[in-house]
Amino acid sequence: MLINFICNGERKQLDVEPDMRALDVLRDVLGLTGTKEGCGRGECGACTIIFNGKAVNSCLLYAPKLDGSEVSTIEGIKGPDGGLDPIQKAFLDEGAVQCGFCTPGMIMSTKALLDKNHKPSEEEIEEALSGNICRCTGYNKIVKAVKKAAENE
Amino acid sequence: MEYLKPLKLKELFTMLKSSGKYGSESAGRGKYIRYIAGGTDLAVQIRDSGIKPSTLIDLSAIDELKGLSLKDGTIRIGSAVTIAEIAESKEIPACLKVGALSIGSPQIRNLATIGGNICNASPCGDTLTPLLVLKAEFELASDSGNRLVRAEDFFTGPKKTVLKENEVLKAVHIDKNNCTGVSFFKKIGKRNAQIISQVNVSVYMELNKDKKIVKIRAAAGSVAPVPLRLKGLEEALKGAEVKDFGLEDIYGFVNSDIKPISDVRASSDYRRRVTASLIYDILEEAANVN
Repeated sequence: MLINFICNGERKQLDVEPDMRALDVLRDVLGLTGTKEGCGRGECGACTIIFNGKAVNSCLLYAPKLDGSEVSTIEGIKGPDGGLDPIQKAFLDEGAVQCGFCTPGMIMSTKALLDKNHKPSEEEIEEALSGNICRCTGYNKIVKAVKKAAENE
Repeated sequence: MEYLKPLKLKELFTMLKSSGKYGSESAGRGKYIRYIAGGTDLAVQIRDSGIKPSTLIDLSAIDELKGLSLKDGTIRIGSAVTIAEIAESKEIPACLKVGALSIGSPQIRNLATIGGNICNASPCGDTLTPLLVLKAEFELASDSGNRLVRAEDFFTGPKKTVLKENEVLKAVHIDKNNCTGVSFFKKIGKRNAQIISQVNVSVYMELNKDKKIVKIRAAAGSVAPVPLRLKGLEEALKGAEVKDFGLEDIYGFVNSDIKPISDVRASSDYRRRVTASLIYDILEEAANVN
């Protein structure tokens, strides 16, 4: 079936199988492999994208739901000068990246949070990241990075 | 797999007529139609079972199923309203808000709908005990008209409801008169975030100035095949003060109402004890409410 949507600011028209997931469309059809598949069942958050302004698991989203939507992936995150977004800078500065597999999802959840809440409390940060699992770090550096990004945005 | 996305109920009913029967699991032999709203439960069920429906009908774009409003003393929640919208709404009583917020993660709540949580009819669904104690009514729509069913009468077993073939949940109605008191939701799971309830309880109370319980409705989930009103507890607590009873008393009051099983998430005995503890915690909290 034919779907039309906006991905990272670009109009896309694609012919997809209805049982494909948004995750498969992004990775396999559009080649946007920054979005990761971890658990494939909505528990780890590695596949988080921003869908109509909200963070969602792209592994739970069937491709037909993309029709008429606006989507951002990690590839669409950049600063005003085309370089790194303040969130990406903060993650690097704070050493909030270890193996890096969860990082795109963490950044997308952070982006969704900071887009609607410029000064989140620590509790709000933890809540916003509660659907993103990191198996390397202890989350402290990630929370610190989000705080720093909020200050710099 | 065929994917249909009606925009009006009328369109849905026309599709159902031409598509065959809903939910008959005769995969391979005939058509197997499933409804999808947020998809957060269904996508996992399909993945785990490996059985793909021949048709998915997406209900989330249907006009009549959208919107959360307060009108003529009734809160109307369209079945396609997301769990995140409910958690953020100012119109929604505390127990339902807290229950909604305890579901999954932000990513899940942004997709998942209240209609999905209700119609999935899991005994541990976290919006179900709040809906029971708020005396919610469910508006069911079909080609031949609408009917109202009390939340309490809707669930008939694990994953089973009174919904007939070709009937859909249109909206949830909550009478504001049933929300004038205080309400609480608590659950126990193995961690705080992203967790399925081992037990959840909701309590609605109207207290007088001496903290005497004038009215009480309580319910527990994951302790029986369906979310359950705790009638024995309600009977025992009505007219009492919130601090009149200890944990052992509460255990006695809930014990005959509930029939928990032991499963992968918790043992039956643990569920019995935790049901009492959660109720006890709620009464303590109520004692401290001004």
